[in-house]
Amino acid sequence: MEEFSSEIRFVSLLDASDDDMVLLSDEGGLALDLAEMKRVQEYYRGKGREPTDVELQSIGQAWSEHCCYKSSKVFLKEYLMSIDTPSVILRGDAGVVDFDEDHAYALRIESHNHPSAVEPYGGAATGIGGIIRDVLCMGAQPVALIDPLHFGPLDFPHDKLPKGVKHPRYLFEGVVAGIRDYGNRIGIPTVSGSVHFHDGYLGNCIINVGCVGIAKKKNILKNAVKTDSDVFILVGGRTGRDGIHGVTYASVELTEDMEEEWMGGAVQLGDPITKEPLIHTCLEAAERGLLNGMKDLGGGGLSCVVGEMALAGGFGAEVNLEKVPLKEEGLQPWEMWISESQERMMLAVAPEKVDDVLHLFKLYDVLATPIGRVIKDRIVRVLYEGKKILELDLDFYTAGPEYCREYTHDTRYLEEPEAIPDEPEDYSKTILKLISSPNIASKAWVIHQYDHEVRGATVVKPLQGKMGYACHGDAAVIKPLEHTFRGLAVATATNPTFSEIDPFRGGMSAVDEVCRNIAAVGGFPDSLTNCLNFGNPEKPDRLGLFRETVRGIGHVASHLGLPLPSGNVSFYNETEHGHVPPTPVVLGVGKVPDVRRCITSDLKEQDNPIFLIGDTKNEMGGSEYLRVFGGHSGTVPNVNVGMLKKSLHAVFRAVNEQTIASCHDISHGGIAIAISEMALGGDVGAFIDLSKTERVPTSVKMFSESNTRWLAEVWRGKEDRFLDIVSDVPVRKLGMVKGSSVIIADSNVKAGIFLEDLSEAWKRTIYDYMGGTP
Amino acid sequence: MKVEDVKVCILIIEGTNCEAETSQAFRRSGASAEIVHLKQLLGQDTKPEETRKLEDYEILVIPGGFSSGDYVRAGAILAARMKSRMEDELVQFIDEGKPVLGICNGFQILVELGVLPGIESTMSRYPTASLGWNDSGRFECRPTLLENWNKGKCIFTTKLERGQIIQAPTAHAEGKFMLPKHREKELLDTLKDNDQIVFRYVDAEGQIAGYPWNPNGSLFGIAGICNSEGNVFGMMPHPERTYLGIQQADWTRNVPDNGDGKAVFESVLDHVTKKF
Repeated sequence: MEEFSSEIRFVSLLDASDDDMVLLSDEGGLALDLAEMKRVQEYYRGKGREPTDVELQSIGQAWSEHCCYKSSKVFLKEYLMSIDTPSVILRGDAGVVDFDEDHAYALRIESHNHPSAVEPYGGAATGIGGIIRDVLCMGAQPVALIDPLHFGPLDFPHDKLPKGVKHPRYLFEGVVAGIRDYGNRIGIPTVSGSVHFHDGYLGNCIINVGCVGIAKKKNILKNAVKTDSDVFILVGGRTGRDGIHGVTYASVELTEDMEEEWMGGAVQLGDPITKEPLIHTCLEAAERGLLNGMKDLGGGGLSCVVGEMALAGGFGAEVNLEKVPLKEEGLQPWEMWISESQERMMLAVAPEKVDDVLHLFKLYDVLATPIGRVIKDRIVRVLYEGKKILELDLDFYTAGPEYCREYTHDTRYLEEPEAIPDEPEDYSKTILKLISSPNIASKAWVIHQYDHEVRGATVVKPLQGKMGYACHGDAAVIKPLEHTFRGLAVATATNPTFSEIDPFRGGMSAVDEVCRNIAAVGGFPDSLTNCLNFGNPEKPDRLGLFRETVRGIGHVASHLGLPLPSGNVSFYNETEHGHVPPTPVVLGVGKVPDVRRCITSDLKEQDNPIFLIGDTKNEMGGSEYLRVFGGHSGTVPNVNVGMLKKSLHAVFRAVNEQTIASCHDISHGGIAIAISEMALGGDVGAFIDLSKTERVPTSVKMFSESNTRWLAEVWRGKEDRFLDIVSDVPVRKLGMVKGSSVIIADSNVKAGIFLEDLSEAWKRTIYDYMGGTP
Repeated sequence: MKVEDVKVCILIIEGTNCEAETSQAFRRSGASAEIVHLKQLLGQDTKPEETRKLEDYEILVIPGGFSSGDYVRAGAILAARMKSRMEDELVQFIDEGKPVLGICNGFQILVELGVLPGIESTMSRYPTASLGWNDSGRFECRPTLLENWNKGKCIFTTKLERGQIIQAPTAHAEGKFMLPKHREKELLDTLKDNDQIVFRYVDAEGQIAGYPWNPNGSLFGIAGICNSEGNVFGMMPHPERTYLGIQQADWTRNVPDNGDGKAVFESVLDHVTKKF
């Protein structure tokens, strides 16, 4: 048995008072509360010795909110993780779901909020790097990236910016550049995403990154060791001081003076040109059957990956820390152990295959170093130059606390009186104003900066329509494999303005929207993953919002039988100025039976009839219309899960039987914006008449964001077949593709806008703020 | 020779990232394409069975990506590595009339190497053209329309009519074709006289147009050129991304049987099977 190194620093914990322990946690950047520190104290009292500094740091990492989901797990288990289907193959760093007989797809989304708020370029870039590794370590080739982004208003006055807060334009520019320069360089297409602007994101932007991958089933790997003789091989980048305490800082609120600490090392540095060959080489090693298991080094670095892989395999681990290749001299052992330096993966390899693995990585110029081995005892032991510096029982170490913290649920919004603006005098002007609002206007400024076509598999692209006129689509479609026309439809949705009024309905609406996006292109929703971005869970009202949201997502997902085989929670998204609006981002993956039958959102042909699928209700709460023109309603769009299920089947079938020429889901800005976008993409006008629809005010007919609705342009001659397929859901003929302007009529009023005017209003907004020519 | 016997070397180093779809394009056309790391050609860190010789291939392709991160200047590092370690093999390959294709980053590398435009010699000592930063100052990923301007010299476009317009997306930050200012007119005239201009960016009406149809501000709307012999060809847009009809930007409006980019691969394979 090795002795503890004489150079290691022991920390006095056994006799520490409560105050001492709080101080210890603060000074060490452990982010553990008093109760947790007491648990640690009790463990060491049992052992009869003081902890080493490395051990305390390790526990801080392993027990952080970021790593062990201590505040959220109780709700996730109850509402989301309970949804199980036979299609789910594995739940690891990413979820793995059945694709066809020999293949599976992997999916995951996570946040990189705090790093991006401090250093937008590096924060967003390393966000991409991290999510790629989560998919890669399942043995899957990443095939698509998805980036939902949320910022404060682009026109926020500089002189009113709180101290320490960076301007939304600076953050937006930096985040997009970070995603662009990392994603484009590693050659994974960014195919989908969203950009949302809201006052609530001023101090704390929400940057989520999602990834979908494809794997041969025979190559799927567990994030675990397999045998008691496995060797740990660390591959990829070197280890440095960047990214120290990333997870613990992500588990507290963002404060003004924390910025310096972050810049001092908590934000990691991305290196896509180490990552690009790392992806190839790991996948080739998996393909050649050289690996027993793989896991990425993300939050907590080595301290998390070694313990988790060993425990998942039912064993322990011993690591020789001095073997870890370093970026610079002079790192303390604890820094090496918890550093979150990027571009690193851990492989578990059988001893007889180590040489083959090392040769392969050398050929591709990727660093690979055996740094430890599996041991039978369920402990993690770390040696530095032959001397022990850490020894922890895995069951204690990885069994992070789990809380059922106190939560409250505020329903005062239901009592607030509605304040609906008067009907507009000029509906055309209203539509032009809405379509130029930053939340609805063209995101081409972002989309053209991302390579959305690398790998040559993006069949349905983020901008859809006639060349030179393409407009926003609902979902992107990837054809991931050469031998088959099966595809994956990928879409994302969030609606913070719904969620801040009614988190339950906000959660439900996000699932509804992502599903209707997938159906609109001809896919059928198959699985979901989510990133839940909230404030401080130790504050009961924030946790109440979280619980309601999760309940909403779970309610719809379970009725649809949609599993969530992976997910991520990001708490502490708040500053002294307040918390972000509840932001549940849902990423959905749908299966497409044959990508050649997919359709897009752009209108195709003059005289084709246009139908509305679904009912429009007076549910103006959280709508873009009220946000832009002022007003309030507590009635956020509801979801009728039975109707949603029937409608998804109907739209999916109608698209796949090729009765629909173009289809667009109705979301921000309602029917008026949906038909405008379809017309812009097709560079052709439309006439629709809303007078025969529900008896609600014209503004509701035009701008309500009620769920479970689509506009469908049906091929002439296929109307009967279409109506037959959609017979058990509400459907109404509204008008037809016609002329060169968009005309929307109701009983006594009419809006009519030339396509050129519509186009000008839609495409300029973001460029006007960010520079450049549309 | 038969098309299945045509061996295509798809050259990669770290940061190359379009090798899978590019080799797939050649395989779809029946050729035998192999992804080869530069170190395999140089015999560095390779086992004997992993070592490759350039002369054993009929076609060399440098695919798109960000070789060595495009740090310094797009394509500069891989070009320097090739020039210092395998200049003779490469010049011999080209002089034998074997085709060399550079797409996007590959085009940048061929220009950095001095094999494009390749006016006076197979490989000039210094680059004589440049692919500079896009006028927009940003990375531009967008579908573009290209007019085949070649009269028949380029062996990569023989399956296209002169004046035929094809679709292929661009995805680059440094794609603005430029010639030295003091010799711009003279060199451009030479390129025209030699029939070295292959593709030019046009708009939906087939006219030479400005941004965004020309996504980078290239001189004379140039999207692709060949050397004076017609066997070395580079283009910024990606023909491998429009090999299939369903890869084209607007295919849901008008489904073509084949993608427009297919002609580039079929042309060169047709040439090789007839010549060798």
